[in-house]
Amino acid sequence: MKQIEAQRNILDFTLSSLFRRKGKNTALVLVYTLIVFLLASVMFFTHAIRNEAALTLKDAPEMVVQKLMAGRQDLMPLEYLEKIRAVRGVSSVKGRLWGYYFDPYFGVNYTLMVPGNEQIKPGTIVTGEGISKNRAVEQGDFQAFRAYNNNTLLFQITRVLSSESALLTSDLILMSEQDFRSIFGMPRTHVTDIVLTVKNPRELGTIANKIVQLLPDTRPIMRDEILRTYDSVFNWRGGLLIVILSVSVFCFVIFAWDKASGLGAEERREIGILKAIGWETSDIILMKFWEGVVVSLSAFLLGILLAYAHIFFFSSLLFGPVMKGWSVLYPEFRLVPFIDAYQISTLFFLTVLPYTVATIIPSWRAATIDPDLIMRS
Amino acid sequence: MIKSLEVGKVFNMNRPNQFIALNGISVEIPAQRLTVLKGPSGSGKTTLLSILGCMARPTSGRVMLKEEEITSLPERFLAEIRRQTYGFIFQQFNLIRGITAIENIMLPAYPTGEKRTVLKKRAAGLLEIFGLENKAEASIEWLSGGETQRVAIARALMNDPAIIIADEPTAHLDTKLSQEFMDIMQKLKAEGRTLIIASHDPVVYGSAFVDKVIEMRDGAITDSGAKA
Amino acid sequence: MRKSDLFLVCTSVQILLLGFVFAHASYTRDAAAPKFLEKAAMVKHLELTDLCLFTDARYTRHPSMADMQSPFQDAPMSFEHFPSGSLMSPPPHLGKHETN
Repeated sequence: MKQIEAQRNILDFTLSSLFRRKGKNTALVLVYTLIVFLLASVMFFTHAIRNEAALTLKDAPEMVVQKLMAGRQDLMPLEYLEKIRAVRGVSSVKGRLWGYYFDPYFGVNYTLMVPGNEQIKPGTIVTGEGISKNRAVEQGDFQAFRAYNNNTLLFQITRVLSSESALLTSDLILMSEQDFRSIFGMPRTHVTDIVLTVKNPRELGTIANKIVQLLPDTRPIMRDEILRTYDSVFNWRGGLLIVILSVSVFCFVIFAWDKASGLGAEERREIGILKAIGWETSDIILMKFWEGVVVSLSAFLLGILLAYAHIFFFSSLLFGPVMKGWSVLYPEFRLVPFIDAYQISTLFFLTVLPYTVATIIPSWRAATIDPDLIMRS
Repeated sequence: MIKSLEVGKVFNMNRPNQFIALNGISVEIPAQRLTVLKGPSGSGKTTLLSILGCMARPTSGRVMLKEEEITSLPERFLAEIRRQTYGFIFQQFNLIRGITAIENIMLPAYPTGEKRTVLKKRAAGLLEIFGLENKAEASIEWLSGGETQRVAIARALMNDPAIIIADEPTAHLDTKLSQEFMDIMQKLKAEGRTLIIASHDPVVYGSAFVDKVIEMRDGAITDSGAKA
Repeated sequence: MRKSDLFLVCTSVQILLLGFVFAHASYTRDAAAPKFLEKAAMVKHLELTDLCLFTDARYTRHPSMADMQSPFQDAPMSFEHFPSGSLMSPPPHLGKHETN
């Protein structure tokens, strides 16, 4: 009981002492909060994207085969399709038709696609939510596309894909094979790439190797490679992220180190006074410990809470400009919050711990100074 | 009450700037009396005071407090003795700037783990004794010289110590405030406390209720005796 | 109210809110489970391979389908297409098949 009461007394003094330099310490907590907020926002965002990818892309094609020519993806001739069908273990092979269409009027890139499992009536399209918002069109409206030969083709929108699927389909336009080929002038003998299924998923690697041996100018991409793409796509090495974060973190480390470790003459005098009037070295260290905890724990908790609100309530508002880049069409999505104790504790050890340690260490040296120092000065 | 036996203190030992501050001092501080250490600055009285007050260790010799040797005690125990047995009044008063008078007074009692309400009551009582009850929440730098002095004394009394140690308490005070200070010391003596004051101010050592004056010069005692 | 209590109350409130955040996340996740099933079904149906995160470049719209020799491979610090190209790292399977 006495122990707890002593802790509270010392905490009282620590807070009084911090309140003396209200402006400086408030600024410190705010900058600290901002750092935690940025770190936590990035962490929450990437974690949520990764989980989103893992949960939605788990039924992506088992294997996609691309043809390469001169280092670029090339159209896949239909005879390749037949050759791959003949590979033992392959159960089904299908050509995919998809590509990019640049709309010069809106300055937007769309993904045009012919769904393999659905017949779309020629002359009609199904659009993603982003497109309907961007062009301010709805179901029933007509949309013009300029074909490769400068012909203008008109399509009626029969359906707009749900906004819930925006993270997958925002820029998607689904159309019939006939329309797709007339827009791009793609010969009937070719498709964009091939998706295939295998009889035994465990043989996927073997089959991929067989395909490469049979058709050396192809490249198979397997489902777990697709999934792993999103595992690592926003890792901490992500260029811009690390530039922004490392700069701000280093700035803060310098700032915090200077603030926490630089025991000024005044502070040394105060420690001397406290020792002289009967505070033990451990009490001084305790006081400094509380000082570190008050600043860093407040900033940590506040930063986490703000970051959570930012990512999951305000749709990553601040990341928008960075994520959007030059694309006019940007999917508006609300991420489903995936957070775990591991993330939070990682942040804790990255932020609260170093600051508290940086506060205690210099005072530990000062606390061992003889208390008669103040008598001599 | 406190006895020093052949106490010596050397600063910067074995270095070119070695300095002998105390040279074999043996004194006895009687209990419940007012003892004054008198001497010019540099005579070693502050050093002796900090050794008697358990703030510094002597280089040689021994210090006994109530027949118990304290020279070899670890720092932890010395801090506890400082807290429980001593009240300190420093030359510059050494109050903590920026925090309130009442919190300054409560500071010595914080590590004891007493309840804050109890501490606050005691500190408020002390403020009342010194006529400062309306200054409790005032920050230290807003107090006048006399008020600062009384807050410093109140802080020394916070843990109800048996011994009060004061180092040049009147150095920065005018005669009226110095006299006021000595009046308070007289009251504390009457309460049965032991007082040790280092000073070269005649208002202090010339005071009628000083029981013993120890004169020092160059780290040695030149005259010690009961005052007439 | 003493300052330490004020701090402890503020901190407890924040920790409580943190607890609420976890509860909210877990609740939202559970509530979103059917939607994830729907989206997964859509991926299967349309044979999709990627998330629509960036629409400004081929290799950021469909990173898993990116060309072998696309400039994207110059990542992690590729500024070829800024900023999306610099935000993402190249998929790990890029370049793997070259050595096979």
